[in-house]
Amino acid sequence: MAKIRENYDVLVIGGGIAGMQAALDLGEQGFEVLLVEKEPSIGGVMVGLNKVFPTLDCSSCICTPRMAETSHHDRIQLQTYTEVMGVEKTGWGFSVRLLRKPRYIVEEKCVGCGNCELACSIDVPHEFDYGLGARRAIYIPHGNAIPQKAVLDVEHCVFCGKCEKACPTHCIDYAQEPVEVTTSVGAVIIATGLTITPMDAKKEYGAGKFPNVMNPLAMERVQSSNGPYGRVLRPSDGKVPRSIAYVQCAGSRDRSIGVPYCSRVCCMYALKQALLLTHYIHGVEVTLYYMDIRAFGKGFEQFYRRAVKEGVKAVKGKVARITEADNQDLIIRVEILDTGRVEERRHDLVVLSQGLLPSWHVKGVISAQEAEDGFLMTPQAKVSPSHTTLDGVFVGGVAAGPKDIPDAIVEAGEAAMAAANYLLRTGWRATIRTQLKAVK
Amino acid sequence: MSEAPQTEKVIKEKTPLTLLRERRGGMSDELKEYFKEQQRIRKALREALKWGAKSVPEIAAACGLDKQATLWHLMAMRRYGEVVEASEQNNYPLYALKEV
Repeated sequence: MAKIRENYDVLVIGGGIAGMQAALDLGEQGFEVLLVEKEPSIGGVMVGLNKVFPTLDCSSCICTPRMAETSHHDRIQLQTYTEVMGVEKTGWGFSVRLLRKPRYIVEEKCVGCGNCELACSIDVPHEFDYGLGARRAIYIPHGNAIPQKAVLDVEHCVFCGKCEKACPTHCIDYAQEPVEVTTSVGAVIIATGLTITPMDAKKEYGAGKFPNVMNPLAMERVQSSNGPYGRVLRPSDGKVPRSIAYVQCAGSRDRSIGVPYCSRVCCMYALKQALLLTHYIHGVEVTLYYMDIRAFGKGFEQFYRRAVKEGVKAVKGKVARITEADNQDLIIRVEILDTGRVEERRHDLVVLSQGLLPSWHVKGVISAQEAEDGFLMTPQAKVSPSHTTLDGVFVGGVAAGPKDIPDAIVEAGEAAMAAANYLLRTGWRATIRTQLKAVK
Repeated sequence: MSEAPQTEKVIKEKTPLTLLRERRGGMSDELKEYFKEQQRIRKALREALKWGAKSVPEIAAACGLDKQATLWHLMAMRRYGEVVEASEQNNYPLYALKEV
């Protein structure tokens, strides 16, 4: 495990696409960056997606080279499986407390061969596949993980010792414990990304109890070639679904669950998934129930038209309720807005287009303020969208509000530029501080 | 009076794995039960697949298991090279044990 130095120019919190972009932009300008990620791999949500809209490019094919570039950059120190415990302003800079969680392997020795995973005795639901697939108690996070290093989930360890015996490099280290470390930085960029509204938020949509009502990120994994089933199946019984419904605004624009805003990406990711399903399953019928389609980005409207032309049925209707039939098919009660009629329609599988929420909250860690919706407050959103309420702390990507991947990347670049300007204004340079300390 | 012979106590050094187990308070009852159940289900699935490829509902019926859990276990076995998808019948893929 690389040693945390005393000084860095910038701390980037979050190793998703926005955090990586900010770190790379700063590294290229000559700044020393510490990139902290709480998961065992960088890549964030994007590396788990199947394809991106509207180009239908493979998501991990775009994300993985960026991950490799980040991890190999001379001026970026990657710190995965680490939590940020506290960031305190000290003069022009910040004092940072980190908690490094134990992987129970010596990172320098692990070659990512996966022998420990094959030897392990127990399977548990894999978070990367939203529980639909399995991993072992000791595992490489996923095929594209960076670093390609094993991590032991000690909560599920049966203490059989098989991993230790199987490891060719003797890298298993059961003696590891969490370690708290401190460092100083000149500026901070928060790029902690998103989570989705919980499955149980909408009682009328089954409250997460129906196995064939899926969340959209799980559907991304199911559609991926390296997904949990290797093809599209429904979770209740492994059937190839022949009728699939998308319920739009199932977690956004809804005051009853405290998410009054539009999440901006649901229309497009649902259209993308729906179109791809028509490619993956011969003869499938995909219906998208929507209030209105918000296809506002470059090429989005054309993509919507293409999806409809290629067979996706877009039905303007508000879904009131989802119930489960005896064979675990789903009955959707929907008001068709064009006719005013209320109908009940049967589907094999339903995907809820859930909205975006911030995945991390700064309260108790950094004294920047959050807005009412939980995203970071950006008081000068029009002219300086990456500035938070705390001087020297910047935000990029979905941590500031819902947005798609290109917008998250643009905003992360802006955050990097703002952080660079701040460092120049304050005169903070990690290399100079380290040299000065050595002279003293 | 002769002294009683002293027995030499051999104190075995605890391994890091033993120390970790002690630090964690051993395996929880919940995990023990989960592990036992997993072994039982895997044995039943292997037994059911011995006689040829089957769909998830067929395997679940043969083993007396829930279909959703059957799929999950099959996919775990598939991931770690024990099961393969053999063919498809009536909208259901059929799974078979991987020939060694």
